[in-house]
Amino acid sequence: MSDPREALASAKATADRLVKAKRFNACLTPVRELRKALVTQAQAAHPSGVLYGMPVAVKDNICTLEFTTTCGSKILEAYRSPYEATAVAKLKAAGALIAGKTNCDEFAMGSSTEHSAYGRTLHPFDKTRVPGGSSGGSAALVAAGAVPAALGSETGGSVRQPASLCGVVGIKPTYGRVSRWGLVAFGSSLDQIGVLGRSVHDAARVLSVISGRDPKDATCEDRDPLRLPNVPESLQGFVIGIPKEYFPADLDPAVRLFKELGAAVREVALPHTAYAVPTYYILAPAEASSNLARYDGARYGTRFDGSADVRALYRTTRGEGFGPEVRRRILLGTYVLSSGYYDAYYRKAQQMRALIAQDFRNAFDRGVDLLFTPTTPSPAFKAGEKLDDPVAMYLSDIFTVTANLAGLPAISIPIGRIKGLPIGGQFIGQAFLDDEMLEAAYALERVVPATEEA
Amino acid sequence: MSVTHDEVLKIARLAELEVSEDALPLLAEHMSRILDYVAQINAVPASEGVKPFVPGPDALRFRTDEVKPIPLAFGPETLAPAFKDGFFLVPKLGAFEGADS
Amino acid sequence: MAGSWETVIGLETHVQLRTVSKMFCGCSAAFGAPPNTNVCPVCLGLPGALPMANGLALQLAVRAALALGCTVHPRSVLARKHYFYPDLPKGYQISQFEQPLSTEGSLSYLSPDRGIATAAIQRLHVEEDAGKSLHDRFPRQTAIDLNRCGVPLIEIVTGPDFRSPQEARAYLLTLKQVLEYAGVSDCDMEKGSLRVDANVSVRRVGQPELGTKTEVKNINSFAYVEKALSVERDRQIALLEAGGKVEQQTLLYDSKTNAVRPQRAKEESHDYRYFPDPDLPPLVLPEEFIAEQQGLLPELPAKKRERFVEKYALSVTDAAVLTADRAVADYYEAVVHAGSGADAKAAANWVMTEVLADAKDHGDGLRVPAGALANLIGLVRGGTLSHQAAKRVFSEVADHGGEPRNVAEALGLIQVADAGVVTGWVSEVLSEHPTEVARYKSGETKLMPFFIGQVMKVSRGKADPKLAQRVLEEKLAA
Repeated sequence: MSDPREALASAKATADRLVKAKRFNACLTPVRELRKALVTQAQAAHPSGVLYGMPVAVKDNICTLEFTTTCGSKILEAYRSPYEATAVAKLKAAGALIAGKTNCDEFAMGSSTEHSAYGRTLHPFDKTRVPGGSSGGSAALVAAGAVPAALGSETGGSVRQPASLCGVVGIKPTYGRVSRWGLVAFGSSLDQIGVLGRSVHDAARVLSVISGRDPKDATCEDRDPLRLPNVPESLQGFVIGIPKEYFPADLDPAVRLFKELGAAVREVALPHTAYAVPTYYILAPAEASSNLARYDGARYGTRFDGSADVRALYRTTRGEGFGPEVRRRILLGTYVLSSGYYDAYYRKAQQMRALIAQDFRNAFDRGVDLLFTPTTPSPAFKAGEKLDDPVAMYLSDIFTVTANLAGLPAISIPIGRIKGLPIGGQFIGQAFLDDEMLEAAYALERVVPATEEA
Repeated sequence: MSVTHDEVLKIARLAELEVSEDALPLLAEHMSRILDYVAQINAVPASEGVKPFVPGPDALRFRTDEVKPIPLAFGPETLAPAFKDGFFLVPKLGAFEGADS
Repeated sequence: MAGSWETVIGLETHVQLRTVSKMFCGCSAAFGAPPNTNVCPVCLGLPGALPMANGLALQLAVRAALALGCTVHPRSVLARKHYFYPDLPKGYQISQFEQPLSTEGSLSYLSPDRGIATAAIQRLHVEEDAGKSLHDRFPRQTAIDLNRCGVPLIEIVTGPDFRSPQEARAYLLTLKQVLEYAGVSDCDMEKGSLRVDANVSVRRVGQPELGTKTEVKNINSFAYVEKALSVERDRQIALLEAGGKVEQQTLLYDSKTNAVRPQRAKEESHDYRYFPDPDLPPLVLPEEFIAEQQGLLPELPAKKRERFVEKYALSVTDAAVLTADRAVADYYEAVVHAGSGADAKAAANWVMTEVLADAKDHGDGLRVPAGALANLIGLVRGGTLSHQAAKRVFSEVADHGGEPRNVAEALGLIQVADAGVVTGWVSEVLSEHPTEVARYKSGETKLMPFFIGQVMKVSRGKADPKLAQRVLEEKLAA
């Protein structure tokens, strides 16, 4: 696209599609505001930008100057950020149009987008089911064809898991590849902005633009933006590792598929896999309890008035402003950091994390280029199904959390249907070899069936 | 690992989070369940030599000391729930008397 | 009584580093701006903001650590310290805990009770400052100003090494001096760039275990340090002598009533839930970084004092006065070196009297250039100006500049050393005071100053007093 008229047309068409997609409750931005903002942006965008005119929706835990940033929470109900995330600034500099903010589990804590203060997002193919989470809104919009791509965020799989459940592509880059400046922090050592897209190409183009060095984020590596690889003819020359811990049943279908693509396949072991979810659910809540300490109604956000003194203000604001899942995680996190429990939980979990990361290094050191696993244990579950037992919900992350713990890049692509519902498979790549991983994803995408639109 | 109601209240105080009487039993139950679940990492023997793993750069980068503030699209007075004469306002500390810091 | 009790004091000092921007963001760190004008997403603790470490702050912190003889650790970790308070926007302070920047230093100081004493510096680490809470500005509300939030600090913790409030104060003054010398801070307690919290306990003399300690905060000047610690020591002793127990608590010093009161209603002690800050990789300082700071350390006060005593033949007291302030010490040496054989002792006297007095009245400025003062001293030494006259020239040069000799001439202060002219004045004086002459000749030699005074009067201060005295002695002997 290079013509301003095309950009404007894109803006208007996007607005129309987003209106139609309102029924999924995926987009939190009111229609009028959205339409107006899209048109204004189309008029101001740089025609020479590589994403010129491309509408990209943004998960509501990423700060934008346009629209509110609520993080799916009451505590930030009408919050407008006075600055924008680096990723968003880069999108705009590339000519993209910010197509509204998407619904998510509150502060990105959840795997179903049922924990949003603004209602759950419906699965575009079956409204009794969840789209996954926490980036459920972004995944649903892409799956519904409303936008070609959307930004999400991952801490334990929150881009890949909804991508798998909705039948779209979801990429989590290597930790430190994309700046976290402006991503509302949940688990700082795990968080990364990721991309959901209609295709590997759409998602990768966006990832390429938002990646690269940023002095404002001390955990962002001093590297050039990701360069897009060529689409390979086959997977000739690749060695794909299949970790047996991720395939409870039969490894054969996956092995056959990759051999057909010309890759060499090897079974690998990642012995500490079983400890990944427990490790994650110590570290992530711990960091969350710290990162969410700033929400107290004193300087911004919602305040619950009538408080007699400032302690009461904090306790009421946080008690009422946070939903049950967030409250639970804050309490859990506070507990595992508190004196007397720090060593047994937090310090031990940090050591477990090291062992898990070591498992991956060992596998890669043995000549494996990439790992392939299912993204989720099953397709989209019914709304309400996992709300009673928090641990049941946590187990949806069983295949995804390891990549976050190890800081490795991972990508989920749709690989088929189970009883009519989409399911994804993921590659986990080596640190900073995101482009190799994308190559493999391109190749795989060519041989698996595309998703239907909602 | 059973978490008592008292412990939940103590943690809630540390976290400045109001927990109502009705919510307490379920919360204690959920927390116990989760803590039981995560405690399984103790099945792995303590490996003394294992250094914690944190992804990202190995060393902190430094910034030049110069006055170069990050611009705000609008000021604190717009953000604040309560603002007067240039100050953020909160209800006074109660029994928690502090000196001007 | 107090005689059977021993006081044990440890000090925690927070010092603001001399940077222009804050520790983790590019906002100005300057004091005195209108409230909430030096703020940004980082120091406001807005959602999504991240810290960016100030390199100069680390350099100054390392320099301070080296100045205090600490071991600087090439690898240290920034950690989050959690507590909720209105002026702490993130709900945690970025500080250091298990792996601080430096440990195991010491500082020697002159104790009023026991000569040179040494305080152990257990640790010196970096952290960010909090904002300010004002509780009395509005009724029923606390006003918060976040300008100060994020300013770089070093925290310096001593062992329980002080045995009296006076010692604590002496240590603090020495600490201030060393840090000023090293150029890391201006250590101004009034402006809050140096703050101190104290841990105080008492025990019976000879008792090996330490008593329960309390923490005393809100001490806002060096003078109040002594007062606050004395008040708390006396309170604890009175309590224990009455059969009570000292409770571990935090107390605030109230300078208006000269008393301490508990900071909070009885609450659990803090659980800060420290853990390494995941937004900040470890602080890794290469050898060259540390070596560079070592090289930037100036000659520190104790060494300079020793050198002044030796090189300039000054008394220890005079050397101490001249080295109290680094700028003054440098000035003194500049004066000595600018002079052509300028008397180091004369220079010392001038600096300790005229220069320091003038500085005190003019915002610590050293208004007379070192070269000019050296010239002035030379003029007195050479007999061209009397000391009195020189003082006038000094004031003149301080106010209006100028070259001392020219100023002296313009003011008509050049001493007359012409024997003939002086003899004329002497004769005049002697002829006008025959009674005193007679008294002098009959033995009252103590009248000599009177005669000299009269000669100075008659000459309007221009006579060289030494020459006048010689001529007077000659004539009166006759």
